[in-house]
Amino acid sequence: MSANVHGRALQLIAQARVEGIAEANSNWLRAHLEECDFCAEHVRHTDRALQLLRTAAIPLPDGLASRTQFRVRLRAMELREREPQRRALWFTCAVSWAFGIASAPYVWRLFAWFGERTGVPKLVWELGFGLWWAIPAVFVAVVLLMENARREAEQDWMRQGR
Amino acid sequence: MLMTDETKTIARGLRRRDPDLLDRLIEQYQYRLFRYLLYVTGNKDRAEDFFQETWIRVLERGHQYDGKSKFEAWLFAIARHLVIDWQRSKKAQSLDTLTDPEQDHPLQLANEKEPSPLHQVLSQESEENVQASLQRIPAIYREVLVLRFQEELQIDEMAGVLCVPLSTVKSRLYRGLEALRSQLQRGAAS
Repeated sequence: MSANVHGRALQLIAQARVEGIAEANSNWLRAHLEECDFCAEHVRHTDRALQLLRTAAIPLPDGLASRTQFRVRLRAMELREREPQRRALWFTCAVSWAFGIASAPYVWRLFAWFGERTGVPKLVWELGFGLWWAIPAVFVAVVLLMENARREAEQDWMRQGR
Repeated sequence: MLMTDETKTIARGLRRRDPDLLDRLIEQYQYRLFRYLLYVTGNKDRAEDFFQETWIRVLERGHQYDGKSKFEAWLFAIARHLVIDWQRSKKAQSLDTLTDPEQDHPLQLANEKEPSPLHQVLSQESEENVQASLQRIPAIYREVLVLRFQEELQIDEMAGVLCVPLSTVKSRLYRGLEALRSQLQRGAAS
């Protein structure tokens, strides 16, 4: 029997276990295995390996589930406590933006008037107006950055001592 | 159909951060998740840390699970990302890693003469030499063998968990299967 035939058989043996093979290939393989001890032995070894893998038992650490449930419940409480604060923050920002849009033409005139009175260059008071508009967005960005930093600090225990 | 109902229920519960649902899921998946993490990290204590952190992530990011795929596939993907983040932070220098041994990063196994933490855990209950063989297989192959033959995930589900193309999953499975078979054969012969 040629090496090509064995090669095809070995490939089909693996393929049958990984993704399945067509019926024609399956029939060919069955016929080949009846004649070829080497490939039949290969099938036995492969199936034995998979059987051992499937049945290998591992002991669970004591109280793993209950300790995890406790930690998850604590974290859930923390998140629930933060929820109203977060909602209040977004509500405040929304009101602030709405007010900003509604009052923009008046504030623009106010900045222009103030610029004229004090002799400040036009570019400066225009920048001031832009800054006044951007304050809510900057505030939210700072809050989110601070939250991310705190979360990363909380996760540092994962990286310590390893 | 039943699977879809179950996963939709899980997705709804996770969106609400339902504590009873989370308790039930932790109980239900504890063995499978811990086993996966143990095979991937090769260390019991580390697997335990990642186990807890995975469930915290499930709580925090539960709204991202849409219930269209198997819950365990999503769960393993979260666990895997945590392990990879940690390996990146440690520069993956000292232990078994999930990097592809055929690419630029050479795989560095722990000293094979000493029993590894994975071996110590597995050998407590298994009388076969499968544990010794598994610890000699690169983590990246161990992982696909566990997902396919222990967790019985489909190849497309595995591709989702591992974030790699189907062809890569298949090639890792073939190599892993061959590595396991020859390691066991070697173990039986010695």
